[in-house]
Amino acid sequence: MMKSSATQTANKWDFTNQARFHVALKKIKLYHMKKYLFTFALSLMWITLAFASDPAYENAMKKQISSMNTIQSSEQSQTVANGFIRIAEAKSEEWLPLYYAAYIKATAAFRFEVNKDQYFDQAMELVNKAEKIAPNNSEITALKGFVIMGKLSVDPMSRGQEMSPLAMQTFGKAIALDKENPRATTLMAQMELGMSQFFGSGPDKACGLARVGLELFSKEEAKVTENYILPTWGKREAVQVANACK
Amino acid sequence: MAFGQTIISGKVLDEKGISLPGANVFIKGSFDGTSSDASGAFSFESSESGDQLLVVSMMGFKSQEFPITLSQSKIEIPSIKLIEEFNEMNTVTISAGAMEASDEKKSVILRPIDIVTTPSAMGDIVGAFQTLPGTSTVGNDGRLFVRGGDASEVGIYIDGMRVGNAYGTTAGNVPTRTRFNPNLFKGTFFSTGGYSAEYGQALSSTLALNTKDLAKRSQGDLSIMSVGGGYSHTLANEKRSISISGNIFDLKPYQALIKQNFDWERAPFGRDVELAAQQKTSKGGLWKVLARTESGGMQLWQPQPGMPDRGLLIDLKNTYSYAQTNWRRGFENGWSLFGGISFSQNKDILNLGGLDLERKNQLSHAKWTAGYDFSDRLAVKNGVEYFRNDYSEVLTQESLERSFGENQGFLFTEWDWYLSRKLVLRSGLRAGISSLAEEKWLDPRTSLAYKISKNGTLSFATGRFHQLPEERFRILAPSLKNTESKHLILNYLYQKDGKTFRAEAFHKSYDHLVRFEGIHQNPRNVRNEGDGFARGFDVFFRDRESLKNTDYWITYSFVDSKRSYFQYIGQVQPDFAPKHNLSVVVKHFVPSLKSQLGLSWSFNDGLAYTDPNLTGEMNSKTGMFQNLSLSWSYLPQPNLIIHGAITNVTGHQNIFGYQYAQNPNEQGRFESLPLGQGAPRFLFLGIFFTLSKDKNANNLNNL
Repeated sequence: MMKSSATQTANKWDFTNQARFHVALKKIKLYHMKKYLFTFALSLMWITLAFASDPAYENAMKKQISSMNTIQSSEQSQTVANGFIRIAEAKSEEWLPLYYAAYIKATAAFRFEVNKDQYFDQAMELVNKAEKIAPNNSEITALKGFVIMGKLSVDPMSRGQEMSPLAMQTFGKAIALDKENPRATTLMAQMELGMSQFFGSGPDKACGLARVGLELFSKEEAKVTENYILPTWGKREAVQVANACK
Repeated sequence: MAFGQTIISGKVLDEKGISLPGANVFIKGSFDGTSSDASGAFSFESSESGDQLLVVSMMGFKSQEFPITLSQSKIEIPSIKLIEEFNEMNTVTISAGAMEASDEKKSVILRPIDIVTTPSAMGDIVGAFQTLPGTSTVGNDGRLFVRGGDASEVGIYIDGMRVGNAYGTTAGNVPTRTRFNPNLFKGTFFSTGGYSAEYGQALSSTLALNTKDLAKRSQGDLSIMSVGGGYSHTLANEKRSISISGNIFDLKPYQALIKQNFDWERAPFGRDVELAAQQKTSKGGLWKVLARTESGGMQLWQPQPGMPDRGLLIDLKNTYSYAQTNWRRGFENGWSLFGGISFSQNKDILNLGGLDLERKNQLSHAKWTAGYDFSDRLAVKNGVEYFRNDYSEVLTQESLERSFGENQGFLFTEWDWYLSRKLVLRSGLRAGISSLAEEKWLDPRTSLAYKISKNGTLSFATGRFHQLPEERFRILAPSLKNTESKHLILNYLYQKDGKTFRAEAFHKSYDHLVRFEGIHQNPRNVRNEGDGFARGFDVFFRDRESLKNTDYWITYSFVDSKRSYFQYIGQVQPDFAPKHNLSVVVKHFVPSLKSQLGLSWSFNDGLAYTDPNLTGEMNSKTGMFQNLSLSWSYLPQPNLIIHGAITNVTGHQNIFGYQYAQNPNEQGRFESLPLGQGAPRFLFLGIFFTLSKDKNANNLNNL
């Protein structure tokens, strides 16, 4: 009955205040009795967890996440990544700030005119730090695959042979750790699409994965509240892959 | 401003005093902090109070901490200087003599995949290196010849362990290949001189091959080729992997289809079994095992000048085994340790026109190194090595045997000192002792690199190198001492956006080379009396960016070499050192065809030889050598590769020398036969299929 740590933490944030708890309870009542009791017991556990949380940390994270969504230049990305690194320094037991710092570094390498290898290497360093705090975490593993994909994209001709199986393997591991992680499935879909375009083998597999990814994103969206600080990115990528299938 | 808040401001600079944007400035243990702006300035408020630590950090730089007391409303720190850490990306690399093939390192000249996709190489590791600066193609030999040195002057290593008899045994004028499959290796380091004190017993060059780490997945690889076939199976998990492969090759069916110039009685054939295993040990160590055993043979009629019939029948059988294991581990405290042992055994059973000869060579090597990083500026590597070499020759019919056994010991130390990010000095010392030669020696080596511009590096290397003569001479004269060379190398390397330009000038002196009287097949009075030199320059240009889907490189090497060696009395241009060497390799990927097309062209101005009908030694030169090779790799689906290649497309008549009769004919002339190619062209066709859960896997490396 142990859920993966990512899902567990995800749900934790759904119930940070009483009002939401009641809304959730109403929904839960729709389920039949056995399941209700079981879920209720779990919910109580989450409440305890929620009370144990640190509002300063939470607020700092929320602030950084909202500035993350407005990044328009490599300088801004550096500023926001720094913000997350500061939170990571102060809360050395949390993997999430390191995760975001790594994600920002990786996306900056994709988006802006920077030394891509250097940015991806820094992203990888941050991913590895996050992994030490939370081993076998699906989100971190998926991000690791994303960074490998980035390294690959710098020089596909010579790195493809070594890195494309590594990226695939890493996304596979991320999916195995949490089948509900939409980012793991979507990134795998992106890789599959690239492979199918290269080999002209038809994008069926990629499209299937992208569809699953989109379903998982809608499931995830249902959970997202204003206090939700776990990763939610990736829907745009899933839509892109899905569009390529039309 | 709220009560109790302090504004902390200041400026972050790099060590040159230039403003550093993007640095992270914060109060340790709190969320209060900011980043430095474009001018390096920062300012933030903190609600903390009392004694705190202000941290200034940035990736790639050493973090700094300042104790501050938050009691007043404003604290200003005028300038904070961050010092950049030394790492591989921002410090200079020594490039004199060195050429790396790797996916990771920045000073890369060749990538591992280039070895298998260079058309003229036909999947042979050394074949790919023959397109690099400082090498010459000797078409009827196949081995690696570096800067006026003969093939024995190149030391070949796998994971730092010396490989005995790395090339297959062959008959005269039949080119050989490296025994090891390129898909074993993740990277190579090739030096054409001035190399590290870690390597010795090689006058000219080292070729260090590094085997792959853990395999990524379990898979089976099947290959079906015009010259044979094989299967390799790999089992892998996150901790360990093992792969076992078996191959057979036989040129008989091929030669039945395609007309040969050589008079084969039995076409070359062989089989091999190979095992490679990797295991992660606790706390970041890696343990590897590599073992290989193979056997093969050939029978060939070699025509003799002045003899009307088929000539001399050469019958050759070879068995070879190689095994090694090594362990390495890096420690967080700056230590890195390596230990390895290797063993190779080569046995040749020859029949040369009725004369039975058996040759056996065994080489064992044990090595232990310990490296320590004192800081990011100073590192040392020390090592100790032991070699045991046994060699014997038996004339079977006469039951005559001769043999020698030899122990060698070495100690080396090498220091890397970064005086700045732009300037590095490497100094090493290698000491050796030989029981058979009863000799001790010391080789100092030094190199220096200076980064003269953002993308340009100038390096210099010098050193002394010792090598004991080849076994076939030592068995005749066991007291033979080391031969010796000294290198002087100046190198310029420019790398930017997928373009590489490399120019190198060198001078190499030789001393105590082997000389003898009589003929090559029967040397007498073998002694260390020869000397000589090689000097010249080479240029290399590679561009992987400018033309879409195209990668090409051009190499020109000039070697002016003269030496007194073997039977030659005066200093002559050796018969393996052409003056002008040119090669061009082009690879073009055509996405619509899912194919990579390859072209390689190599040229040299001909090899020196002695015509006994003229006066003097090495008085003639063969015509120029040319080889245009083409290849086509087709990937119809991810796990299937079809590869075809053809050498010497133009059918150029390459002559590598002449064989002269030992005595003049009735007209007083020495009759001769040209030493030519086995066939005008060589054709290769292979199908490589990978079976794996991951349908995208392929065995591209087996091409």
